[in-house]
Amino acid sequence: MIQLFRVSKDYGRFRHALADVSCTIDRGEFVFLTGPSGAGKSTFLKLLFREESPSTGQIVVNGRNIGVLPPSQIPYFRRTVGVVFQDFKLIGRKTVFENVAFVQNVLGLPRAEQKRRAYHVLKRVGLHHQMNALPEELSGGEQQRVAIARAIVNEPTLLLADEPTGNLDPALSEEIMRLFAEINIRGTTVLVATHDIELIRRMGKRVLTLDRGHLREREMAREAPGLVREVPFLPLG
Amino acid sequence: MKPRYVVGEALSIARSGRRQTAMAVLLIALALYVPGLLVLISRNLARLAASEAEPVGVVVTLAPTADPHAVADRLATDRRIAKVRIVSSAAALERFRSAYPDLAAAISGLEEAPFPPSLEVMLAASAPVGSGRAIAGAARALPGVDSAESEEDFGRRFHDAVKLLRGAGIFLGAVLSIAAVLSVASAVRLALDLHREEIEIMRLMGATEAAIRAPFWLYASAEGLAGGGVALFLLYATYRTAAAWLARDPHPVIAVLWVRFLDLPTALLVPLAGLVAGFVGSVLSLGRRD
Repeated sequence: MIQLFRVSKDYGRFRHALADVSCTIDRGEFVFLTGPSGAGKSTFLKLLFREESPSTGQIVVNGRNIGVLPPSQIPYFRRTVGVVFQDFKLIGRKTVFENVAFVQNVLGLPRAEQKRRAYHVLKRVGLHHQMNALPEELSGGEQQRVAIARAIVNEPTLLLADEPTGNLDPALSEEIMRLFAEINIRGTTVLVATHDIELIRRMGKRVLTLDRGHLREREMAREAPGLVREVPFLPLG
Repeated sequence: MKPRYVVGEALSIARSGRRQTAMAVLLIALALYVPGLLVLISRNLARLAASEAEPVGVVVTLAPTADPHAVADRLATDRRIAKVRIVSSAAALERFRSAYPDLAAAISGLEEAPFPPSLEVMLAASAPVGSGRAIAGAARALPGVDSAESEEDFGRRFHDAVKLLRGAGIFLGAVLSIAAVLSVASAVRLALDLHREEIEIMRLMGATEAAIRAPFWLYASAEGLAGGGVALFLLYATYRTAAAWLARDPHPVIAVLWVRFLDLPTALLVPLAGLVAGFVGSVLSLGRRD
């Protein structure tokens, strides 16, 4: 599904956001990406949906080397990847339905089909009754659920989430993680960047840790705080 | 990408920033109004210059009892003369009334016609410089002629002045048109700045550059078209106001510059210029990747 081969990302001569990162994420996995602020989590995700390109190394997603994608192909690649952001990134002048159906509108899908698909995903996130609301009329949790609906409306094989619960309280965070888990059960590969260790412990999923641009893999026992087994760093790939 | 999407998005952009759209339209209107005004004056100058295509070289004033046709026929034999026009007393009086309507009442009570008949002599294009003076001198010797004056020098200076004004008007018009395009680009950029974050979100969601830009191009072109329409309306309002004022209080110079409004094809160029400026402004504003 996702393979990184010795990927580095530099911003100028002295700032190395990622350093020689290699890892593999299989289809259908649920993986957390964690680390302190400035560790490179957001950069890692930006490389995966081609908001940035790697300075060195290769990134293969679904068999495509996205590091060498020409700019004209990037929009088409992004339509196969769902992305959720900490600040939701909803378009303020569009309704919930228009935000969710945006790409389908660009593609010229019939409006009836757009509504059917949007209703279906909004029902999954529990917001099918808010289709005509504007983002400013929704709470933070509702806005994030709309963002998730937008991310999955095209049935992507990969869902990326960058600190999706960063602006939410613990209860809402749990709710959002449950949604991600449901999406993962249906076969979508999910990669969530977060520094919420408690959330990670409760979910009991695979964890990749970034520390000053270097990647380590950790296992965390579910519901057993304190029982953290360190796995020695092994060069992968 | 369907046209319905582009039009729908453009309308949505306009609705989301009504005040900014209105201000941009007004700014575009003002930017096009000034060069439009120059075009209006320039067109009337061109008409004036065209009307002077047959400038009068010599004016021959006749005695009241003279036979104008006989004098005209004598003069017309000169190869330096292209045409001789007879201006009767009545025609001269009518010209006076048109040029100075507030003075017409002063002479309305006169028993005799105040203006004698005259001949206007148009020189041939091949006539050498100074022909006017020579012809005037010869005309004074003819029977029935009270006086003859050469207008050749004045006519040439007037023609040159008109050409100079037109040239200056065209140059200023070109400079102001460039300024108008840049003003439109700035107005469009201000409007697009409101949507900068939105544009970035659309990119992240997988919209192509064409899908992002096309609605903004359409929106900015429509803004420019509306601004041009408002400019045309302001120009027409200015023309009508000035025409009404000149009808009440005629000015011998300004009145000849304000004869007619722009013809239809030229008038339609104003909103068209706005549309083009809006489109160019949006292309410049959105840039390669914005």
